[in-house]
Amino acid sequence: MLDRVFQQLDQLVLQRTEGRWFIAHSQVPEVLAEFFDNSGEPFELGDDLLFLDNFLIDADAHWQSGADFPRHSGTWYERSRSGVDVALEAIALTVDGSSILVIEAPGVKHELAASKLQAAREHLLTEERLEQEMRKRTAQIREREEQIALRLLAAAGFRDEETGAHVRRIGMYSEAIAKHLGWPQDQVDQIRMAAPMHDIGKIGIPDYVLLKPGKLTKEEWSVMKRHAAIGAEMLANTGIPMMDMASDIARFHHERWDGTGYPDGLLGEAIPISCRITAIVDVYDALVHERVYKPAYDEPTALNMMRELAGNHLDPNLFEVFLELLPEIRRIRQEIQ
Amino acid sequence: MIQKKICLLGGFAVGKTSLVRRYVESLFDERYLTTVGVKIDKKVVEIDGRQVNLMIWDLAGEDEFAKLNGSYLRGASGFILVADPTRPATVEKMFELLQKAQQSAPGARGVVALNKVDLLDEWRLEEAYQQQLQALDMPVLRTSAKTGEEVEALFVKLSSSMLLGGQGDA
Repeated sequence: MLDRVFQQLDQLVLQRTEGRWFIAHSQVPEVLAEFFDNSGEPFELGDDLLFLDNFLIDADAHWQSGADFPRHSGTWYERSRSGVDVALEAIALTVDGSSILVIEAPGVKHELAASKLQAAREHLLTEERLEQEMRKRTAQIREREEQIALRLLAAAGFRDEETGAHVRRIGMYSEAIAKHLGWPQDQVDQIRMAAPMHDIGKIGIPDYVLLKPGKLTKEEWSVMKRHAAIGAEMLANTGIPMMDMASDIARFHHERWDGTGYPDGLLGEAIPISCRITAIVDVYDALVHERVYKPAYDEPTALNMMRELAGNHLDPNLFEVFLELLPEIRRIRQEIQ
Repeated sequence: MIQKKICLLGGFAVGKTSLVRRYVESLFDERYLTTVGVKIDKKVVEIDGRQVNLMIWDLAGEDEFAKLNGSYLRGASGFILVADPTRPATVEKMFELLQKAQQSAPGARGVVALNKVDLLDEWRLEEAYQQQLQALDMPVLRTSAKTGEEVEALFVKLSSSMLLGGQGDA
């Protein structure tokens, strides 16, 4: 009766006699008949069954270990004479000290498993495609945001002496620091676009103050300081994360680590980190480039001046990060002239 | 006749089975049919005047549902790492599998197939991956099972390399 059970399950039970020699303990099911000896005599497994040949090495180790659990080969395919790929599996186990090899053709069971796997992988592919599409759309949105930011900066550029190169460098220096700090990519992109807008509020400062060649009076200076609040207001309430960050940077980039900055006199880490980063790179870029009111300082001089500012004007920890990134900062400076 | 075992490795749906089918049967089917387990094809080729029987093991793609069984690589003289650069995760997977292949079949020669070059416009091969690929000590070919581009070259390059190396069955 057991023989018929094995037949119906498309299983063939083989007992190893020695080496690669086996004897069948059940009738060879029809589906396996062209791959295995059907004579009932001991036979040598042919090395044309390449997969099984390879599995026998694992099976042999399993039999020798005397393990009391089966070892499965995993599915493989043999091509029948009619050109159909037949899925097969082998199981090595030890029964009463005998080395047993069960060969089965899982048939419908295999087809069900394969169709489940097919569905699962198609689902993963669809998910991947949707994610890709989402990334593409997000990139398009970001590109549009960047275009808006550039237009705003261009407008501000008509009234301010700062060059387009300066604002681009500020964005890229800030991006380098944010990346080094391990910020998520979307926030790294945001600060690259937002930091250049730090002085955009100058657009709202009257010409007699903004364009005055000499030193500003106390009153004029208080008018000039309003650019922080004006910029923040210009950029606020858009619901766009990059613009929110730009609004913060515009408002707080003149705050100082020791609380003596403006407009709110924020102290230390109460100043948003995006603003502390922008403050450092703005000071650096201003020092190493010529301005109408000062010559360009060489980098060692500029860095010495910044060291004096670290801890009072600038965030000392971020300044250390900035110093670590100097090679990258120099590369950006050279690239964007 | 010289016999050489080659294994194809890569993430799922990168086109391993299609590459084998294109090479062995000169056929291509647009439909995606996942491979379960292992499928072995054979092809006799002449390399540098020598007849070589290639035994091509197409191993199921690795993902969260299926892991590569290292014992399938036993005795391999060469392996083809396949990635689909329209899906960057498959390039990462390929580098992961390279390590497994080198552990399971030390001395085996390798070649990389950046497949689906017919979709070149959709490739998203990040700079870091490009640098990693350049640093690899193995040929990197841009293939297409769909058009047949570089498929023959892929197997020939690997076979020549295996014959030079003299690894595996002979």
